[in-house]
Amino acid sequence: METFLIVIGLLLLILVFMYNTLISKKNQVDTIFAGLDAVLKKRYDLLPNLVSSVKEYMVHESITLEKITELRTKALTTTLPSAETIALDKQISSMLGNLMVTVENYPTLKANENFLHLQGTLNELEEQISAARRAYNQSVNDYNNAIEMFPTNFMASFMHLKRKELFSIPARERQNIDVKTIFQK
Amino acid sequence: MKPTLSSLLDYYYESMYPLLKSLEEKRLGILSTLKKAALILFCGAILLFFILTHTPLLIPLHAFLLSALSGFLIFMFIYRYESSGYGILFKDGVIEKMIHFIDPSLLYSKMSFIREEEFKKSTLFVESYDRFSGSDLVSGKIEGVDVHFCGLHVEKKVRDTDDKEIWNDIFQGLFFVADFNKIFHAKMVILPDVAEKNFGILGSWMQGMNTQRGELIQLDHIEFEKLFVVYGSDQIESRYILSQAFMEKIVQFHKKIKKPLALSFVDSKIYLALHYTKPLFEPILTRSVLEFNYIKEYFELLVMITGIVSEFKLNEKLWSKR
Repeated sequence: METFLIVIGLLLLILVFMYNTLISKKNQVDTIFAGLDAVLKKRYDLLPNLVSSVKEYMVHESITLEKITELRTKALTTTLPSAETIALDKQISSMLGNLMVTVENYPTLKANENFLHLQGTLNELEEQISAARRAYNQSVNDYNNAIEMFPTNFMASFMHLKRKELFSIPARERQNIDVKTIFQK
Repeated sequence: MKPTLSSLLDYYYESMYPLLKSLEEKRLGILSTLKKAALILFCGAILLFFILTHTPLLIPLHAFLLSALSGFLIFMFIYRYESSGYGILFKDGVIEKMIHFIDPSLLYSKMSFIREEEFKKSTLFVESYDRFSGSDLVSGKIEGVDVHFCGLHVEKKVRDTDDKEIWNDIFQGLFFVADFNKIFHAKMVILPDVAEKNFGILGSWMQGMNTQRGELIQLDHIEFEKLFVVYGSDQIESRYILSQAFMEKIVQFHKKIKKPLALSFVDSKIYLALHYTKPLFEPILTRSVLEFNYIKEYFELLVMITGIVSEFKLNEKLWSKR
């Protein structure tokens, strides 16, 4: 009888440990996602200023600028699930990247003090977003491993925990690029 | 202009050589004094041994030990006295000149070292200590970055199994502090990965359980992860500091230096501790200062330290840090 009780007690302990591990990993993902969301919001706050300072110079890019404004509005007006936030961030990042490339064609804009300041702040935010993406991916990876590995997978399916999506890190962030390309010269 | 070995060679013969010649004479003088002292003390110890063996109080072994120990202690006293005087001359004539050759704007103070508060603030070594000493403080701006570094020796007093007092090293080596090129508020420590190296997955699990230094930060650079363990107070900001490119630079620096390396990031500053088994800029009495290869070793060490700024690109500041 005693042995039986000890075994039951041990099993219960293991179950509690597995449950707590899964919950802490899930919460870790949520916490880091909140951090990521905060940095993304900082970038969204910067976009109206950016758009207004460049639109009088970049007359040929009005469609891109409108699209950026539209995406920003979408990101701020609704509370999006993580998968959509990821997709939206990907779109905005790529559009901003393209926009910064086209800036090269506008020498007067490149010399504008206000724009240079915005560009500098944006670059810095990109660095922070990149760090947040990497932190998020690491936490999602830990979480996904936990819900798929034996024996926590049984507990995870019982708790209805689902796999979470990773951010695809842009190739330029994965390479050991020359920092000069990120930092303002 | 970055100092090179060939430019040092010119400087060595043009500016340093006359001074080194007089330093060499001094060194030879000290060596000769020490040789004489050793000979006299040796004879004195033999004489003492014979006197002691003829007293009924001591057995020959004790008499031998007593006379040998007395001779040795007196010799060490003379050695310390002579070599410290030489050490000061060497630092004035070689180390200070070389630092000014590398960067004339740097200030050198052979007797100073970083403040204890700064050492504590780095959180690189959390163990309590009983003795804090150092020397050779160099401070100033390198490529626009505020930098200071020195040789540091931090020890703890412990008692061995026979209840004898012994001093254990907590840290001995180079302690380097510089402004970091990004602003951050979190704290982060990078330490050599001993546990995972020795115990594998179990070691990694143990590191995760250790919350003394903050959360364990697992990073996406395989080689870096093998060499170091990282603890930080913020998962995102830690990665903001440790970009892929920066981790690669730390790995390359570690490969080049081949010495235990620890780093910490506190209040937008980078702290670097590099373990050495001997004092950094102390001269070796038995080596001639007229030997260029000997002087070159100190030059290479100084170039390595001052080169940390460009090695880690600390001068390429982000927008808000300018």
